[in-house]
Amino acid sequence: MLEIKNLKASINNKDILKGFNLKILPGEVHAIMGPNGSGKSTLANVLSGKEGYKISGELKYLGNSLDEISIDERAQKGIFLAFQYPTEIPGVNTSNFLRTSLNKVRKAQGKKELDALSFLKIVKEKSNELGMDEKMLSRQLNVGFSGGEKKKNEILQMKILDPNLVILDETDSGLDIDALKIVAEGVNSSRNSKKSFIVITHYQRLLNFIKPDFVHILSDGRIVKSGTKELAIELEKTGYKGIN
Amino acid sequence: MLNFKINSDKIDKIGNFTKEEKNFRLKNLDYFNDTGFPNKKSEDWKFSDLKAIVSKNFSKLDIQLSKSKKQKVDFIKDFEHNYIIVVNGELTMSDFKYEEKSNIILKSFTNDNYPNKKEKNPLINLNHALSDKGFFLEIKENYKFKKILVIYYLFTKDLDENILNSKNKIKIGKNSELHLLDYFVNDSKKNFFNNVYEDIVLENSAILKNIYLQNSKSSGYFHKYSKNKLLSGSHYTSFIFPAGLKFNKLDLEFDLEGEKSECNLQSASFLDGKEHQEIKTRINHLSPNCKSHQKVKNVLNAESKGVFQGKIFVKDVAQKTDAYQLSKAILLSESSEFDSKPELEIYADDVKCSHGSTSGNLDKDSIYYLMTRGLTQLESKQLLVNAFLNEIADIIKSNSIRNFIKTKLETQLLNEYKKH
Repeated sequence: MLEIKNLKASINNKDILKGFNLKILPGEVHAIMGPNGSGKSTLANVLSGKEGYKISGELKYLGNSLDEISIDERAQKGIFLAFQYPTEIPGVNTSNFLRTSLNKVRKAQGKKELDALSFLKIVKEKSNELGMDEKMLSRQLNVGFSGGEKKKNEILQMKILDPNLVILDETDSGLDIDALKIVAEGVNSSRNSKKSFIVITHYQRLLNFIKPDFVHILSDGRIVKSGTKELAIELEKTGYKGIN
Repeated sequence: MLNFKINSDKIDKIGNFTKEEKNFRLKNLDYFNDTGFPNKKSEDWKFSDLKAIVSKNFSKLDIQLSKSKKQKVDFIKDFEHNYIIVVNGELTMSDFKYEEKSNIILKSFTNDNYPNKKEKNPLINLNHALSDKGFFLEIKENYKFKKILVIYYLFTKDLDENILNSKNKIKIGKNSELHLLDYFVNDSKKNFFNNVYEDIVLENSAILKNIYLQNSKSSGYFHKYSKNKLLSGSHYTSFIFPAGLKFNKLDLEFDLEGEKSECNLQSASFLDGKEHQEIKTRINHLSPNCKSHQKVKNVLNAESKGVFQGKIFVKDVAQKTDAYQLSKAILLSESSEFDSKPELEIYADDVKCSHGSTSGNLDKDSIYYLMTRGLTQLESKQLLVNAFLNEIADIIKSNSIRNFIKTKLETQLLNEYKKH
């Protein structure tokens, strides 16, 4: 699914990722944990194609290099980033936006675009699963949404777009326990043998609900330790200082 | 530089006037010729140097004398409406098929008893001197229009370096209500100047809702001075979608004369190429308990220039005034420009007045977010521009009219984007 070799990324002459390696197979869930400033969000940004970074190393998705692939093309090829802080976009209707987005992705994948009615059916079903108020869909995109609503909206988009590779960037931050359970359930129900996940988080808490196959500790731009979910539990006890 | 002074013998060519009216026109022509087209040295024109703009784009300015020809009209089919047709400023036809006609007076209009003085805006004097067409529309008391009235302002293709001067007056009687769409359709591919004087009176508790819309981009140079008098309890809402002209200045003055009168101005423009547009407002709060609300949004592409000069004046007796003004601009290119000059002049002590002005680029984080959802950069920008401007059109209550307006605006936007 994804193969990252010796990935280096810097922004404004500041090195953030300093030789990052990771291989993810279809169906796997990888958690990436690390303290503030270790490069977690940069990793998410670089995978999504965000501009402004100076990048070297190898980044392969489904066997092809992502070097020249723009943000929107990556999304169309099935890479999905759930934002830590989803952007509020006034004046853009949530439901219309979701449909535009889905049809862009479907069109790129050679599928038929959905009309308003068939789209509505899908979006209603998926939003109900996440316990979302349907009224949210007619509101402006993320505007005035609570922290929990914003994160649910990200998961809703993930479910609708049905990507191959999902990057969850601190999806647990700002969520109360009930919202966390719903969001985690949204992710778990999407897990299958073809879909891979990168779960970026500070805390072990999320991993009680989304059980990873592998856990990696990111520190100063490199993976310093990899293991199974037990590593996360150990980390919770010792703190990041106890690792190394 | 060309001399745009206008000879007094032109007055005789416009029509046969009484001695008194001829003198009024000659005097006004003198006032205009004194300064000519205003330049940036004049405070009110410092962002819109009309003298330079006219000199650069016109080799002459003919006073149009030929009678307007019959003009084919592409009627709006999206909603039922009454209509008035105005060709090159001249009233040519009307149909109030949805209304009780006894409540409506419509006639051709040229001049009224306007003060004979040198105006601050010299184009008013020019209009007083030369205006030879226009209409007068009066709605009698206690009559609410059942359907919207569309005024088709048509400009014929033979216009070429002409100047048109016209006057329109609308009077809405006590407790009456009119919804109006000023719809501009321009067939001329050549430059011409359209100078309009508008006079609107809302009597007690009258309501006017007005939408200003250009059908498409055109090579018109427009100036409109609009004087609006609002008596007690009257409400005026104006939606201004003015983009698409080479030059456009709307000089809008509102006198909130009667208590509890309200005016609400909402504007959204997408400017492109070398378009230059200014909205200048002056809201005079002259009585207690009046409200004014202004929101002006501009998106500027290429080398376009947008200007908003908004003044709120509150007279000492106008207590409990509630005045709000906001200007927002998005600059899409390095060469575009937006100038904003908000002004408050307040002589009452118990008032609520606020104003704000922002300008900047499209939000990079928003573009990034939309692109991660599969939209191209261009589509993301387009969506954000639409969203920014649609906020204004979204306030329009009637579905069919709102959709018509939004489709028009979005098509204009799309056409611009296709070029890039």
